[in-house]
Amino acid sequence: MNTQTIPPLAPDAPVVLEMSNISKSFGAVTALVDVSIKLRRGEVLALVGDNGAGKSTLIKILSGFHQPDTGTIVSQGKEVRFASPRDARAQGIETVYQDLALIGDLSVFHNMFLGREYHKRILGLNLLDNRKMREQAQLYLDTLGISIPSVNSTVDLLSGGQRQCIAVARSIYSSPRILVLDEPLAALGVRESAHVLGLIQNLRQQRQVSVILIVHNYNQIFEVCDRINFLHSGEVALDASTADTSEEELIRIVKSGLGRKAIDAAAAEVRPGIV
Amino acid sequence: MPPIAIAKAGKGAVGVKVPQTMTERLLILLSRYREASIAVVAIVLVVYFQVGSDGGFLSPQFMSVVLRDTGRLGLIAAAEVMLMITGEIDLSLSAIFSIAPYVMALMSVTWAVPLAVGAVVGVLIGVLVGAINGIITVRFRVPSLITTVGMLFFLQGIVVSIYNSQPIVAPVEQPFNAIFGQSLYQPSDALLSWHGVTAFTPFLWAVLIVLALALALNRTTFGLHTIATGSNIIGAREIGVRTDRMKIYNFMIAGGCAAFAGIINTAQFTSADPQAGSPFLTLQAIAAAVIGGTSLLGGSGTVIGALIGAFVVASLNNGLVMIGAQATVSDVYLGAAIIAAMILSIQVDRLRTRRRL
Repeated sequence: MNTQTIPPLAPDAPVVLEMSNISKSFGAVTALVDVSIKLRRGEVLALVGDNGAGKSTLIKILSGFHQPDTGTIVSQGKEVRFASPRDARAQGIETVYQDLALIGDLSVFHNMFLGREYHKRILGLNLLDNRKMREQAQLYLDTLGISIPSVNSTVDLLSGGQRQCIAVARSIYSSPRILVLDEPLAALGVRESAHVLGLIQNLRQQRQVSVILIVHNYNQIFEVCDRINFLHSGEVALDASTADTSEEELIRIVKSGLGRKAIDAAAAEVRPGIV
Repeated sequence: MPPIAIAKAGKGAVGVKVPQTMTERLLILLSRYREASIAVVAIVLVVYFQVGSDGGFLSPQFMSVVLRDTGRLGLIAAAEVMLMITGEIDLSLSAIFSIAPYVMALMSVTWAVPLAVGAVVGVLIGVLVGAINGIITVRFRVPSLITTVGMLFFLQGIVVSIYNSQPIVAPVEQPFNAIFGQSLYQPSDALLSWHGVTAFTPFLWAVLIVLALALALNRTTFGLHTIATGSNIIGAREIGVRTDRMKIYNFMIAGGCAAFAGIINTAQFTSADPQAGSPFLTLQAIAAAVIGGTSLLGGSGTVIGALIGAFVVASLNNGLVMIGAQATVSDVYLGAAIIAAMILSIQVDRLRTRRRL
C-alpha cells in the first residue's frame, strides 16, 4: 500500500556489504548461527524478528562492538575485521544502538563529536575546540530540522524523542556509507517517526547511503524498506523484497515462524519462490 | 554536504526551562558550579577560625601548616576525583604515598642516588602500581575497591618489612628540598623572602597539578572520554571510547599523584616514614573529594573542588585545635560534612533532572 513511496532500487546497484556465515555464542547461549546478509548501495534493509532472535547481536558485530566466532565481513570488496567500534566507523559504518549510546553527563555537542572531536593547538597543547563543535552541532541540527532547547544542555535533561534524534543526527553527521539503526523509532511520536523516516529516505536518495533498520512496526517497514530479512532463533528465516510481500503476508510468516523449515513451507504456501 | 530538505520538526514539548524561581536559580548554580558551595563553606570556616583565634588563623605561619596539609591531601583527593569520575576508587594511594619516598630515601642512603633521580623513580613506581591496579580491575574484572585494598596491604607489607618499620632519614639536598617543600614558615621570615615562598611550595605544587588535571578534564579529549567512561560505560564503548584504557590511565595518574605527594611530604620532614600514609589519609582524601562536589556515582567531578575540600578538611583539623577544641572533635565535623555533602549533591541532581533545568 505504501510501496509507491519507494523508488525502485537500481538493478545494478553494487553490493556494499556482505556478512557471510556469521556465528556467535555467548557462553552456552547461541545468538547467531550461520547468518548471511547482503546489502546493496542505496538499499534499505529491514531486520525483523522476535526478541532474542539475534538482530542486535548481528548489528553489534557489524558495528565492531562484538567479534563473530566464525564468518566473514566483506566491505567495499575487501574482507574486513572490526576489533572495535572505531574500526567500523573508519569504514564508514555508523550505528545507532538501541540504547542510543549517549553520555548523559555530557552536553549535546560533546555527544555529537564524541570520538571525533575537533581540536585546536594552544601553547602546544592539543585542546578541544568547543566553540567549533558547538557551532557545528547547532548548524547541523538546524539543517536536519531537529529542534532542541540548546546544544549546551546535558543529554540527561532531554526527552526520549530528543535523545533519539540526537543519536540519529550523530550517526549521519560523518556521511556514512552504511547506516545501521537499531529501533530508531522506539521512543518517537508519530510526527518524530515520520521525520526520522523522512531522513532515511533522503539519505538513501540523495547520498546513496545503505541502511539496515531494525523496526518492530511493520507498517513503517513497508514505508521505507526495499528488502526484509526475518531472523528467527539466530538464523535468517526469510529474505524477501517488500515489493513482493505484503504486510499481511509478513505478519503471517513471522507469526508462523518456528524455524527455517516451517518458514520455508509457510512462505512457499503464500507466495512460491520468494525464499 | 547538501542540506537535507525536510520540514522542521515541531518544538520539543519538553525542554530545558529558563529558570524562574529563586530555588531553580540556586539549583542551577549549585549543579553548574559544584565548587561554589564548598568555596562558601571554606570562606565561612576561615572567618570563623580567624575570629575564634583572634587573627592567628590567617597568619603566614599558621597558613603554611594548613596549606601544607591542604597540598598533601589535595593531591590525593584530586587523584581520587579522576578515578571517581570513571566510576572507580583507589584505596591503595596511602601505601603508594609511603613507598615512593621510602624508595627514594633508600636509594639515596644505600647507593648515593641523588634525591631528584630517586623522586623520579618513586613517581614511576606510583604510576606502575596504578597501572597494575587498573589492569587487575579492568582485565580481571575485580572491583577496584577490592583490588586496591589488596594492593594497600601488599605495598604496606613490603614497605614496613624493608627496614623493620624504621624511618629512613633522607639527606637534605638543595635545591631539591627547597623546591619540594623545605620547612614551615618561621616567625622571622618575610612573606616575600626565599624561605617565605619555599614554606608554601607543597601547596604550590598541589595547585599546579590540580590546575593541570582540571585542564585535562575539561578541555581535552582525554577528559571527555574519562567522563564518558564513568557516565555511561556501555554507551561510551559502543561509540568507540576505549573505556578500559581510560580507567587504566586514570589509575596511573592517581598513583603518580600519590607518589608525588609522598615525596613532597618526605622532603618536608627530611625523613621517609614507612607508615607516613595511613589508610586514614586516603579516606580523608575521599572525604575532601566528596565534600568538594564529586559524587561516587561516576560521570562528574571537580578537581578544583577537591582541593578546596582538602583545604576545608585541613582547616578543620588544624583550626579546631587552634581555637582550643580537642583534636578528635574535627572528625565529628568531617563525618557530618561528608554525609551532608553527599545528600546535597544527590538531591541537587535529582531536583535538577526532575525540573529539567
